[in-house]
Amino acid sequence: MRRARQLLLVLFCLPLTGPAMGLGQTAWPKGLLALPAYPAPTTVLEDIEGELFRLDDQKGAWVFVHFWASWCGPCIREMPAIQKMARILQPEGLKIALINTAENEDTVFSFLSVHAPELRPLMDYDGQVTEKWQPRGLPATYLVDPRGQVRFQALGGREWDTPPYLSFLRQLMTTQ
Amino acid sequence: MMYLRLPAHFLLSLLLFTSSVSPLFAAEAPSYESSQLAIGFKSRTPEQIAAFYEARGFNKPMIDKLKQQCFITTWIHNKSSHVIWLDLSQWQFSNTTGVIERHHRQYWETVWDEMQIPLAHQATFRWTLLPEALDFQPDEREGGNIILPRDDRPIQIQATFPTLADKTGTPITIKFSPLRCAKDS
Repeated sequence: MRRARQLLLVLFCLPLTGPAMGLGQTAWPKGLLALPAYPAPTTVLEDIEGELFRLDDQKGAWVFVHFWASWCGPCIREMPAIQKMARILQPEGLKIALINTAENEDTVFSFLSVHAPELRPLMDYDGQVTEKWQPRGLPATYLVDPRGQVRFQALGGREWDTPPYLSFLRQLMTTQ
Repeated sequence: MMYLRLPAHFLLSLLLFTSSVSPLFAAEAPSYESSQLAIGFKSRTPEQIAAFYEARGFNKPMIDKLKQQCFITTWIHNKSSHVIWLDLSQWQFSNTTGVIERHHRQYWETVWDEMQIPLAHQATFRWTLLPEALDFQPDEREGGNIILPRDDRPIQIQATFPTLADKTGTPITIKFSPLRCAKDS
């Protein structure tokens, strides 16, 4: 009887975790924090070529929002993994907002040409958009759902091109 | 090896702001490690500080102001399975004359505003500081600078870390000494 009550309790609690997102019982990969959903801060930035990007325009798809700077050691190590992940998942529908924090075009161009030449950076020239997101540090990554709600935060740099992260992102992309 | 092709200031950046304690500094940098927490300190010379911020385009008055300070680069790694809080208001810095008042974020915001420093440089500067408070999650690592007034005397640091998400766990208190403000050679 006691076991039955425990089982009922477990079944009752399950929808509060993974299945609430349609993610089954998959555990998050290491270093990802599930957040209570909140609206993503307004993010309107130009990319390095001057083309306007609005986060709001990305609704309907999951968005990988990443903040970085050229002087941050973990950013240097993480960027090639992001490029590899983008190469795989962008064609499958993942949107990527790669936001440089408070640097100029020359610095960003020099950095990315070495570490991730395929990625298109957004320029937060004065760092004020980054401030609105209140990252824990740099690098910082958030996963924004198709309704524009922030759902996950990554702690520091992650190996985004490895199977656990790719599987997780793919699974997210099947949910709304 | 790939870094050898990068400019010198880039290499310095890596040394200054990598998130893990470099073996290069292990011999002269105070550190602590337990099953719950790892923490390390490294004092920076005025030349190192100037080189880093000059490479970010900071102007001379800003660099001159920063060179007068004592920069202590700090790394923290929560090795436990629960939340450990960084709360700099619970850290004490002292020397033989008593408590040393840390230059916190608000102090610098006032200084930079008075000097009319561009927002981009203010933002970059803030990101190089250790957060005032942060709930370190299991396995989280963060680093950044603590800035004290420059002084030749040895510095003692007493750092208290509240534990658990609601800060009700047994706090961890660690004493480090001595640490000196690094000088140019």
